[in-house]
Order: sequence, then structure tokens, then C-alpha cells
Amino acid sequence: MKRHNRFLALGLTAAVAAGSLAGCGGGSGGSGGGDSSAPLTVAIWDGGQQAGLQEILNAFTESTGIKTQLQVIEWNSYWTLLEAGASGGDMPDVFWMHSNEAVKYMSNGILLDITDKVAASEVLELDKFPEDLKSMYQWEGKTYALPKDMDTIAIWYNKTLFDEAGIPYPDGSWTWDEFYEIAQKLTKEDGSVYGFAANPSNEQDTWMNIVYTMGGCVINDEGKSGFDDPKTIAAMEFVDKMVHTVMPPASTMSETGTDVLFGSGKVAMISQGSWMVAGFKDNEYIAANADVARLPKDATTGRSISLYNGLGWAASAGTKNPEGAYKLIEWFATKDMQQKQAELGVTMAAYEGVSDAWVNNTDKFNLTPYLEAMDDVVFRPATKSTLAWWNPMVEELKKPWNGEEDMATACANITAIMNEKIAEE
Amino acid sequence: MGTIKKGTTRERNEFVWGWAFIFPTMLGLIVLNIIPIFQTIYQSFFKTGDFGRGNIFIGIENYVKMFGDAEVWQAVLNTFKYAIVEVPFSIAIALVLAVLLNRKMMGVSAYRTIFFLPMVAAPAAIAMVWRWLFNSEFGLLNHIFGTSINWISDPAIAVFAIAVIGIWSIIGYNMVLFLAGLQEIPRDYYEAASIDGATGINQFFNITVPLLSPTIFFVTITRVIGGLQVFDLIFMVMDKNNPALYKTQSIVYLFYQNSFVENNKGYGSTIVVLLIAIIMVVTVFQMIAQKKWVYYN
Repeated sequence: MKRHNRFLALGLTAAVAAGSLAGCGGGSGGSGGGDSSAPLTVAIWDGGQQAGLQEILNAFTESTGIKTQLQVIEWNSYWTLLEAGASGGDMPDVFWMHSNEAVKYMSNGILLDITDKVAASEVLELDKFPEDLKSMYQWEGKTYALPKDMDTIAIWYNKTLFDEAGIPYPDGSWTWDEFYEIAQKLTKEDGSVYGFAANPSNEQDTWMNIVYTMGGCVINDEGKSGFDDPKTIAAMEFVDKMVHTVMPPASTMSETGTDVLFGSGKVAMISQGSWMVAGFKDNEYIAANADVARLPKDATTGRSISLYNGLGWAASAGTKNPEGAYKLIEWFATKDMQQKQAELGVTMAAYEGVSDAWVNNTDKFNLTPYLEAMDDVVFRPATKSTLAWWNPMVEELKKPWNGEEDMATACANITAIMNEKIAEE
Repeated sequence: MGTIKKGTTRERNEFVWGWAFIFPTMLGLIVLNIIPIFQTIYQSFFKTGDFGRGNIFIGIENYVKMFGDAEVWQAVLNTFKYAIVEVPFSIAIALVLAVLLNRKMMGVSAYRTIFFLPMVAAPAAIAMVWRWLFNSEFGLLNHIFGTSINWISDPAIAVFAIAVIGIWSIIGYNMVLFLAGLQEIPRDYYEAASIDGATGINQFFNITVPLLSPTIFFVTITRVIGGLQVFDLIFMVMDKNNPALYKTQSIVYLFYQNSFVENNKGYGSTIVVLLIAIIMVVTVFQMIAQKKWVYYN
């Protein structure tokens, strides 16, 4: 009898052990009740935009009588939750879509098809939105989301550290070689200040801009990896040179994060996207000491290329209130609301010509470089299943960053990984 | 168990009520744990599609891939390293604290509360605080010791730094279990031992430890399982750029990464089935070994 009990106990212990893990896998079935009068649930991942978007939502409720409920879910959990919701049939009504994930959601019929409604709309002016951004949220001729915003990249520099080193503030006419010289001058021997900082995961906001500016590419015209292009390799070797001469050790950057290092005066320059402005505005040290300059140019072509990306507003195909959900998406894409979003300092607008208002949302920084960057932009590289190669690419770059591999080898490995994953799509 | 002989009415009554009382727990266990286990095992034979649609049966292909995957075996090694440090230390320290706090003295409940506090705090909050304590640039640890050690980004030591956080957070819980066990030991034994001239240390090893062994055994079993399932600390403390991540990520971390980040639930399930197997084997060995050292009265 005793023996018997023990085996039962063993079985149950193991069951509890395993179950607490396996439990994560099961999606919850059945969606919450609700009818068309229930508030529309709206999900986003950026807490910095919450206050401004709430105002736009309030205006929507005032104008249409449709109530909304805004929730912020941090980036990583956002996608886990959205996917579990999509599998289990219980999603927010209206939510943000990102170019990394859009194809997966569109091709599986998770998103509400708004093609006809968009075509019939009297208030939308779709020709005012960038073509790449619109087509990112279209799949097989159908539209699933409307552009929400647009972001570009610029350099943030610490004025105090520039003054101390006796270097004039950048006016945006610099080349990457000049940038490197300045970074060298700013880097102190004792390791108390470094000129620049970037992690392997600062792709869109840092090293990919250098790749495109120097004539390379991440995805080439044939839709394959651009990491075997000599220009890409040369650009990545330039990045590698900066990592090992003007940046803090890779371990420090990974532990602390480049924005924190910049915000504590440990690093004199970082390259960051316009989506960081809201956060930097609230950081006392950065607000007092930093300003913005345009990304450097390539010495031979004289071009300064910024990556750009934009989110889309999408709705769930299973929403109880498709009419209301579409009205809200349309509301966000109207000229007035795009302008309001810019004025409130939420983000730059996707709508052409209204982002000037965004530049004036703060007097702490000169944000014009972000607007100027729009003159020469490349859309953030994407394929059908971007994430499948994006993560391994970043993973591989950790090796040269930590001095475990030279950059040329890493580029060769990335080419192989990317082409393999792209072939599987 | 299943067969009941013709017993008295009382025996039958006890049988019925016994099952009635454990029924809610059994139901929860079956719905939340046992069924998902079989679903997970089932899923490990598939190449899963997006949103659980279009799964393709691929037999043991995931398992073949897993046995050749160096990352998985590195994660197994990391997990064992973590458990081997966390379990013995958390038990030994908690045991000593429990013995010290198992007597009448000023402010004993205040001390007990303090040691139990980490158990009440959210693991994510604990991890964030420790992440900054360990930070090589601005961390309190390096500041106090005047060192510049990369506690959480040096591949050689990061997994042990994580284990320190694990020990710190679990000590209070283990201590409470030990305290409960200590209350069960009759004082007579200690009195008799004192009269015979046994020192405190003698009493600890010859009376406390043997009589507490069932509790120690229970704590060991549950902590080993808990240690092998470590995830949240690593997930919160280690950034994805961290050079030590490869030598720190646990089996569950890899499962999460595959299932939810890279969206390959089939392979993720395969990894977690490996963990179930490992936990089963380790637990069976502990069950066998207990005969040598656990004393039931």
C-alpha cells in the first residue's frame, strides 16, 4: 500500500511539474460576450503614446457616440497575447500592426478585410500616405490596415560632452568618416565616456542606416539576403570598427542599454528613432543636455539614408462590431486626426505634410532632423516572414560584437541563414 | 485502491467522502495539467502552423532535430548548473535560519516576516532590482566591493549570479516549511540530549536533521523540480543582446523562445517533453535515494 502511494505521489508531482509548463500552451476558448454597444477595445504597446491617443479616442467617442477602451501591453507580451487571442478567438477589436508580423496575420485571415470600406470612404485621402507603408498592410490585393504613423532615424548628441571636448555641434553636413573622428575625440582613455553606442539589436535605428547609406542592403532586389554584397560587408566592417574603438564593451551595452548609457552621460552620441522622443522628453538629463542631428552622409555619394517604418491600425476579423472598428481605423487616418497626433507629440504622422506640427511639440530639442530625414528614406526591410531571419541575424551579430568572430565571417553566416529562411517562406 | 471489499457502512462512507473531498483538486489537475501534458506531447510530433492552423504531422522529426541541437544540450547543462547551486544553498541556509528562529526571543516574528518578504514580492520586481544590483556600470555590488565584474554578462559566472537571486527569493518559503517541521519535534529529545551533555551542534545533526528529514525531503523534491523549471529570472535579467545568454538560458527559456517568439510550437513542445522526462528521471532517483536518509516515525 505504501509503495503504491509513493508511485501515485511521484506521478502527481511530475504531473504538477509538467502541467505548470504545459499550461501556457493552451489558448482560452470562447470570447467574452458583447454586442455592438459594448466599448471597442483598443490595444497598443507604447505607454508613451497612451495619453495623446486617449485624447484622439475621446474625440472619436464625442463625434460618433462609440465608446472605446484603451489598453497598453508591453511589446513582448503584446504579440504573445495577440497570437493567443487570434488562436482562441478573443482579440481586442482595434490594435496596432507592425511590419514584422503583418503578413502572418493578413495571410491567415485574422484581420478584418477593409478593402471595400476604404474604397467607399469619403473622408480618406490615401494618396497622401507613403506607397511602401500602404502596401505593407495589403495582402493579395486586399487592405487590412491603414497607416498610423511614420518614423525616421537621427543622431542624438550630448551638448555638454561636445563642449568639454571643444567640438562644435553637428549641423547635419557630416560624413560617417567625420562622425567616426568625432566619436574618437569624445572617447576618453579611462573609459568614463565613449563616443557612440549600439547593440546588435539596434538594427533599424543604427546599423541598418549605415548599411543603406553606404550603398549596401539587407534584402536585395531579388528578395534575397544582401549580406553578401561587398558594400554591405564594408559598411558592417565600419560598424565593427566603431564597436571596438569608440563604444563601451559589448557586455556593458547589453546590460545597461544604450539609451540609459546616453541618459547618464556615459556615451556622447546614439542613433535613435523618432519614437523615442516622447521618452527622452521626460528624461531630465537628456532634456537638459541633448539635441538632435541628422544621420551622417556617405562620403562618395553624399546621401544620408534613414530607414523608415510605420505602424498600421488594424481590426480583428472576429470583432462583434466591424462597423465601429472600421470607423475608428478611418478616424485615425483622417487628415485632422493625423495632424492632431503630430501636434500632441504622439508620433510623426503618416499623412504627408502634417508632421511639421510634431517638430514643435517640444522646445527641448530641435526635431527638424527627423523631418529632413524623410527626404531620403528606405522602408524597413521585410519579407513574408521577417522574424524568422531577423532574430537569427541579430543573434549572429553578437559574435563580432563580442570579438568572437570577425565581421566578414558573420556576414557570410547571416547570408546563409537568411537565404535558407527566405527559401522556406 | 480501485477494489473495495464488502466493508462496513462506515468504510463505505469514508470512501465516498474521501473521493468527494479530493474531487475538486483532481478536476483542476486533470483539466489544467494532465490534459495539457498529453496535448503537448501530441503537438511535439507536428510542424505547427500559424495560430494553431494547418499543423503537419512529421513523426519524430522534431526529436531528431532536438537530439542534434547543441543549443538544447547547452540549455540542459545551464539548467542543471542553476539547480545544483540553487537547491542545496537555499535548503541549507533556510534550515539554519529556521533553527535559529525556532525559539523564544525578541522580535522573532519580525525576523520571520523579513525573511519571508521576498516570497511575497513579484518575481519580475525582484529580477529588476537584482538586475540593477548586478549592473557592471552602476550596480551597488561593484560599487561596494570596488570591482568591475560583469556579474550577468560574463558567460562563466552569469548562471551562478542568477542562482543567487533564486536562492534569495526562495529562502523564506523553505524556512517557513522547516519551521513547521521543527514544531513537530518534541522538546524532550533536546532536554535529554542536554542532560547527556550534547552540544547545540551535536543536537542539530543528531536530532534536528534526522527528525526533520521528511520535511527536508519534501522541500528537496519540490525545489529540484522548481529549479529545473527556472524561467522568469533569466527572462527578466538577461537582455537578448547579452553575450552570456547562450550559456545561461534554461530549458524553459528555450521552450518559450521557440514557442512564442519564433512561433514554432511543435519544436517548443518537443523541448518541454524533454524537460518532463528529465524531471521524471531525477525524481525517481530521489525517491529511491530517500530510503537511505529519510526517517519516518
